Amino acid sequence: MSLPILDGGKDWPQVLLARATEGKLPDIEAAEAKGAWEAFRKATGELSPEVVLHTIAESGLRGRGGAGYPTGAKWRDCVTQPDPVHYVVANGFEADPGAQVDRTLMELDPQAVVEGTAIAAWVVGAEQAIIAVSSSAPVAAERLRVAVEEAEARGYVGGDADWRSLRIEVREVTGSFVVGEETVLLRALEGQRAQPDQRPPHPSRSGLWGKPTVVNNVKTLAAVPWIVAHGAGAYTSLGSAETPGTTLVQLGGVVRKPGVVEVPLGTTVRQILDGPGGSVQGSLKAVLVGGPTGGFLPPDGLDTPLTYEDLGQAGAVAGSGTLLALDESACLVEVATLMTRYLNDNACGKTIPCRIGTRRLAELGAGFCSGHVRPRDAELLSELAADVHDAALCGLEKDAANPLLSVMRYFAPEFEAHSVRGECPAGVCQPLSLAGAASS
Amino acid sequence: MRTDRIPGLAIVKGMLFAVRQVFRPNLTVRYPEELNEISPRHRGRLILLYDEAGTLKCETCFQCAQACPIECIDMGGVDTRNRYHVHWGASEQYAERREESALRRSGRPVPDRTFDPFEPVDLGPLDEILAAGKYKPANALAMLESAQGVYGHLPVAALQHMAHQTGADYAALYGMATSYPHLHFEPPVGHIVRVCRCTQCTLLGGGRVLAAFREHLGTDVGGVSPDGAVRLDVTACGGTSSGSAYVEVDGEPLPKSSPEDAATIAAALRANVPQGEAA
Repeated sequence: MSLPILDGGKDWPQVLLARATEGKLPDIEAAEAKGAWEAFRKATGELSPEVVLHTIAESGLRGRGGAGYPTGAKWRDCVTQPDPVHYVVANGFEADPGAQVDRTLMELDPQAVVEGTAIAAWVVGAEQAIIAVSSSAPVAAERLRVAVEEAEARGYVGGDADWRSLRIEVREVTGSFVVGEETVLLRALEGQRAQPDQRPPHPSRSGLWGKPTVVNNVKTLAAVPWIVAHGAGAYTSLGSAETPGTTLVQLGGVVRKPGVVEVPLGTTVRQILDGPGGSVQGSLKAVLVGGPTGGFLPPDGLDTPLTYEDLGQAGAVAGSGTLLALDESACLVEVATLMTRYLNDNACGKTIPCRIGTRRLAELGAGFCSGHVRPRDAELLSELAADVHDAALCGLEKDAANPLLSVMRYFAPEFEAHSVRGECPAGVCQPLSLAGAASS
Repeated sequence: MRTDRIPGLAIVKGMLFAVRQVFRPNLTVRYPEELNEISPRHRGRLILLYDEAGTLKCETCFQCAQACPIECIDMGGVDTRNRYHVHWGASEQYAERREESALRRSGRPVPDRTFDPFEPVDLGPLDEILAAGKYKPANALAMLESAQGVYGHLPVAALQHMAHQTGADYAALYGMATSYPHLHFEPPVGHIVRVCRCTQCTLLGGGRVLAAFREHLGTDVGGVSPDGAVRLDVTACGGTSSGSAYVEVDGEPLPKSSPEDAATIAAALRANVPQGEAA
């Protein structure tokens, strides 16, 4: 059940998937011949943690898990905490059931993830690091374990002397969609109930077991060795000026070539769909950016660059990094409603606006699908969506209304067709037609 | 001199207020024995009124059902020309909550494992698990997972024993077990149907397939059909589905899925239950 790696073309740099090879995984010697662990040797041998931290901050690397928090600032915040015990957690729990971006990276280049984790732990002075993997990705977990064992055999980690005493543990975590959120993941790793915590304090001040913890997505950590090896300047030259670097994107839906591809940030959605995606079959109706909490972009909005700010303004999120192309056979009201319902089913129940609000949002959406619409429902939906967003404790809740809101924003005629004319443009729902009943 | 500057005056005022309350008439009514007087023009009474001719004054406008904050009002009837049966209210919108409250009103037991009388289980293996977890509530998740490994599910007796031995609240253990989708309270079942709920499968009609399975298995996601034959669960396709939503039956992916197939599959699975076979 793996998707192919797509070729981004000559212009697109390869940072995360530079060493990725499909098929049999090379052992550590072959990986080292291609440059694995070079950055770790360089950092620990020639540089100081402060210099590496400065390099990461200079490179403009930002969290690839979706929120886009500057990695250097996060690490610095953790380093400056007086508590001597620090932790590093690599978040490889890919919560989106339709994405395998992180899984692909962990399976094809586990050394990069382990090396990035080791460098992060060395910089922030952590003696223990955990790579959290979903239990639905056993292959990735196994390959990471092998990579950690090989690194231990080489003496990079797990030794007795000083900074080489870092223990890296690969932990398989089972849970619902919400476990992908950083504070929820920390609770799950502690063996507590999977619910988020109030922030601040951020995990970089009070995280795992209340200790300063760096929680980074595996994509972020896998970019760290490349930055250390090639320098911050080389990384800032990639991608757009404001958000440098690359990220992994998964293409799906009605694109001709579904798969995973590494794209420089700032590339427009259209370039990704037309380039590695091999254009769209049929007529494109919308593109869903960011998985279950993402937003739908209309065909006019395809020139939105893939950066955190631009996507946010367009009503989408970087999220799980999936781009799903939809054609005319999809009813956006129905899909957005079902996505909201999915998020509601996965809500942990801690905040009431999320637990009940998303359910009411899904019910309002279902009302549109079945034609049971009251005149104020559209207004009610946007008001409730704003409340759910404002009361958010975690990222899931903050983005839970994105699907319905983006459909309302860009595809208002579709809502009207359901509620006023009682017809579904895609022919999927069978809304009750009040107008039709009155005339007949 | 201002009166509010006199020391102690505030205390005297407060005491006076308290003493005055003692002599005020009591407003509380001992309800079933005594009844408060309600104005005949009061509009909020929960009774149906009849006019002089003895016919019901309610014209089933449903305004009360829509306004009721706890949705305890629901009605059915016929229209004014005696032609159609009407049942509207808010039931379509709040169908699920209504279903549950109807179940409670009906007097039949509502499935909730906390209130079930529990059957004793052999606690030997559980004691070993608890000892391995050092009886610490902090290790509860690992202990719950091990317990499920031994018993196949989490029996109420095991949870009770765990609560007694570790000192953790039963509610905390129960809450943790319900918050993780891989921990189950029902014994292992013969068959398991998993539907992917990712955005791509939703696009390919996964929502309708799941709704069909919900209907024909008589349970929601994470639950077991009433006859205890089939569990309905979720899976992750990782975006690899094409053509139709990704569905697994007993671990085998279906080549194609549709709501119609769901009905036949559900019926076949419920008819054919291998006894004592754990999924």
